[in-house]
Amino acid sequence: MSQPVIEIRELRKSYGDFKAVNGLSLTVNQGDVYGFLGPNGAGKSTTIRMLMSLIAPSSGSIKVFGMDLQTHRTEILGRIGAIVERPDFYNYLTARRNLELLGRLSGADISRSATTRILGMVGLDARAESKVKTFSHGMKQRLGIAQALLHSPDLIVLDEPTTGLDPHGMVDMRDLILELAADHKKTIFLSSHILPEVELTANRMVIINRGQAIIEGAVQDLLNAGRLKVTIETPDAAKALDVVKASPLADHIHSHTDNALILMLEQSEIPHVASMLASAGVALRGIVPVRSLEEYFISLTREAA
Amino acid sequence: MILTAYRVEMSKIFSKWRTFIGFLALAVLIPIVVVGMSMQGEQFFKFATAGLKDNFEFSGHLLNGYAVAYIIFSSLYLHVPFLITLVAGEVLAGEATAGTYRLLLTRPLSRATMVNAKYLSTLTYTFLLVLTMAILSLGLGIGFLGTGEVFIIRQQITILQADDLLWRFAYAYGWAFLAMATVSSVAFLCSSLVENAIGPIMTTMSIIIVMTIISAIDVPLFDYVRPLFFTNHMNSWKFFFDDPVRWDRIVPSFIALMTHIVGCYVAAHVIIRRKDILT
Repeated sequence: MSQPVIEIRELRKSYGDFKAVNGLSLTVNQGDVYGFLGPNGAGKSTTIRMLMSLIAPSSGSIKVFGMDLQTHRTEILGRIGAIVERPDFYNYLTARRNLELLGRLSGADISRSATTRILGMVGLDARAESKVKTFSHGMKQRLGIAQALLHSPDLIVLDEPTTGLDPHGMVDMRDLILELAADHKKTIFLSSHILPEVELTANRMVIINRGQAIIEGAVQDLLNAGRLKVTIETPDAAKALDVVKASPLADHIHSHTDNALILMLEQSEIPHVASMLASAGVALRGIVPVRSLEEYFISLTREAA
Repeated sequence: MILTAYRVEMSKIFSKWRTFIGFLALAVLIPIVVVGMSMQGEQFFKFATAGLKDNFEFSGHLLNGYAVAYIIFSSLYLHVPFLITLVAGEVLAGEATAGTYRLLLTRPLSRATMVNAKYLSTLTYTFLLVLTMAILSLGLGIGFLGTGEVFIIRQQITILQADDLLWRFAYAYGWAFLAMATVSSVAFLCSSLVENAIGPIMTTMSIIIVMTIISAIDVPLFDYVRPLFFTNHMNSWKFFFDDPVRWDRIVPSFIALMTHIVGCYVAAHVIIRRKDILT
């Protein structure tokens, strides 16, 4: 079994009566791309800020690389690269100068070739000598990735890393995450609102809401749990709707259009529905089951709310 | 690590245009005063000594580089603090405003190291500003007008010989650094308290103005609070130009300024170490 890189136990952070994080526990193992999901205000950013030692927990413990964050802060931060929320930089400095100054503080190689290489990785080598105040949000986001990778950290914490990126940038980011995990054996803690991004990159994940973990586990296991969103394509959707309404599956109806009926079904129920509709003389053009993290995420957070 | 962090902070300070406002202001103002005094300074001194003509006979060069440097020192002393707060007030709060605390405090350096590096860089900036003032006023003053005696009228009349002045100026500028370091420290403390860079600059300036006004009002009620104001002790540089030097007045002022410096520094440390970075 791989070593835990992050161990969070009963973590809490309160602001007066408001509990931003309320007894959160999770474990990230070495080599994981760990998806950290939750709706707005769920406590994701507060958790990441506590993980990065920017705010102090009210109670609970955080261990990183087996060391307590409170007592080994400097040692731990030397092995983490992070983007925490917005990518803010020293706007009056160039991209390269920002990396040089931040790299010095991280003990990184800040030679011209090293900064050029890292800027090239994120597609900013042509703008290395431009002041950051001339950068778009997406370019700052790329620079944020560059500064996080500058000192070759073992753990990379990415808080909404694709925010502001164009579709090409999002694909590049996804590929970079997969490359860092597969080829460079980095552990990645990925907080994101873009669920397909987590679905395509993460191997394990947690969904949090109101400062608590709702569910944690392997992404594929979680995807296989629960119902599928099944689209039944038919020219006779009204008749299909009547047939299903008259059956014990009436409460599984999600929605319908003139040409399709959408049901929420267990995998095992699909053949039965197909047979039932065929027997009733409904012409079927196709049955498309979709199991997405988005559906799962929405259903879980809705239940918790 | 402190040295690395200090170098980074110095790089940041000297990459901002506002850092150079103070140097630019001195570089413009001091030459104007020196040139003006060299052209029409005699009239200034005639006016200054007009009330003493009946009892004293003046000979020699009253208008000289030391005298001009002394006048510049007295005039700029209350204005330089405002230039210093422009930089010192922003040094911590500027990180909060820009959102760069998140970048800085996720590096492998302790918060104490970060605060120390920032404080040292603020003191360095303060030192360089005072040094610029000293070099420009003494250098240009002596260069244009040569050396000579300085005639100082305060509670008593003191005449200081030319060869007795340079060391007094050295002490006075040393004192100026101590006084400006106090201003820097107050601005640094204000900067640790808020997350808007303008706030500490305005607050420090307001503190200086309020303390200076109260110190200047000669009401017995204020006699009790006046010694507590650091602005009251900033002026103690004048005692270096008494003969003999008034150490009995300088030492308590030194203790008062140092108390302010250490107090502000320690308070800023405690605040930053406990601060939740929410920006």
